Amino acid sequence: MLRLIKSQIPNPKVQIPMVVLGIWVLGFGVFAHAQEGRGSLGTVGALGQEVKRPPVRTEPAPRLPDGTVSLDGLWVGGGPVNDIAQGLPKGEKLPLLPAAVKLMEYRAQHETDDPHLWCMPMGVPRSTPYPFRFVQDITGSAASPHLFIIHEGNIHSFRQIFMDGRKHPAELDPTWFGHSIGRWENKDTLVIDTVGFNDKFWFDRKGTPHSDQLHTIERWTRPNMGTLVNTVTIEDPTYYSKPFTVTFNARLQAPGDEIMEYICQENNQYGQAGGHENPFFGK
Amino acid sequence: MRTKHGIVASAGRVGLAAIFSLFGSVAPFAHHSFSTEYDGTKTFNIKGTVSKVEWTNPHARFYVDTTDENGKMVTWNMELASPSALARNGWTSRTLKVGDQVTVTGYAAKVAQYRGDARSVITADGRSLFGGASDDGRPDGGQGQ
Repeated sequence: MLRLIKSQIPNPKVQIPMVVLGIWVLGFGVFAHAQEGRGSLGTVGALGQEVKRPPVRTEPAPRLPDGTVSLDGLWVGGGPVNDIAQGLPKGEKLPLLPAAVKLMEYRAQHETDDPHLWCMPMGVPRSTPYPFRFVQDITGSAASPHLFIIHEGNIHSFRQIFMDGRKHPAELDPTWFGHSIGRWENKDTLVIDTVGFNDKFWFDRKGTPHSDQLHTIERWTRPNMGTLVNTVTIEDPTYYSKPFTVTFNARLQAPGDEIMEYICQENNQYGQAGGHENPFFGK
Repeated sequence: MRTKHGIVASAGRVGLAAIFSLFGSVAPFAHHSFSTEYDGTKTFNIKGTVSKVEWTNPHARFYVDTTDENGKMVTWNMELASPSALARNGWTSRTLKVGDQVTVTGYAAKVAQYRGDARSVITADGRSLFGGASDDGRPDGGQGQ
């Protein structure tokens, strides 16, 4: 990570030789335009702006004493943020039913209705730009009866995955993260089966919908030290004509990074700059 | 540059942006939709005094006392990224302090007056800090993740 350092450019006391400046501009101008080219400010010359990530660690994934792959670590990614369709195999499209298309059209005109913007949980399999941690190795083996996924954002939240062989209850009160049961396949793949969702969260910022009939089957693997792969099969007959599968990778965070507190409700002023009312308040 | 206060499109900074943009992608952390709150074409550059700092989620904020075009004292509400994003980018809760003289460049709110998405914060000692707020959908960088 970059640390805050003295800026050389904005400080008028520091002079950059114009020759060097010219070389930079001429030599990298085209590349820079292609790289950014997105707005009136571009990057602002603030030296904390760019995050230099180390290369992905490619050594073998660690194992628990019984040989099961360890998913422990602090990760970012592993699910959709902007558009769940980005996780589809190349060339495929979401099998949207007309009801889904209609709802997405509505949400495109009401993007500030995304519950996530108002500090609601993101559900499954949506991810956030913030880290999460698998808490797997409770007893020193894969025989732990529970497995937890702890999310830093959007709001400090967790998922509990029952690993003791139980089934889903016949009747479930719908919840944001549903009821999850898990099992291992060949000590390499964690399979999480989840039902009992509510229909409130959006799969992504685009508003891709689901209903309370949603059923997700996540398959988590760790092909190397630095990578988690989450392959999710999604069934929801209310909005999709057939099940579909999306894949998202997560990246191991730097050593020493930890989950930080993220209480979204603390000072959420979302809506005030743009003049949007909270669609959930009092409703 | 048009004035020292208020909304200005800073040609100088755009030039600097071209220089610095070669250094790679911007901070990946974001929470709230930029485009619903801020105008990517409406930039500002103000100088003033930090009157309050909120090291809070989902976004840290600081408030800057300055004067408008008519000489009237106004307070800008500046949005930053979340504390966790800022901390991973080198900030601490003590990076900005009440009384600091700062120059802030960023995008103005779509509707509200005196609200901004801070992109760079230049402190009196010359440090240029990246605000890293609301990256998602912003016109100059963030990928949301």
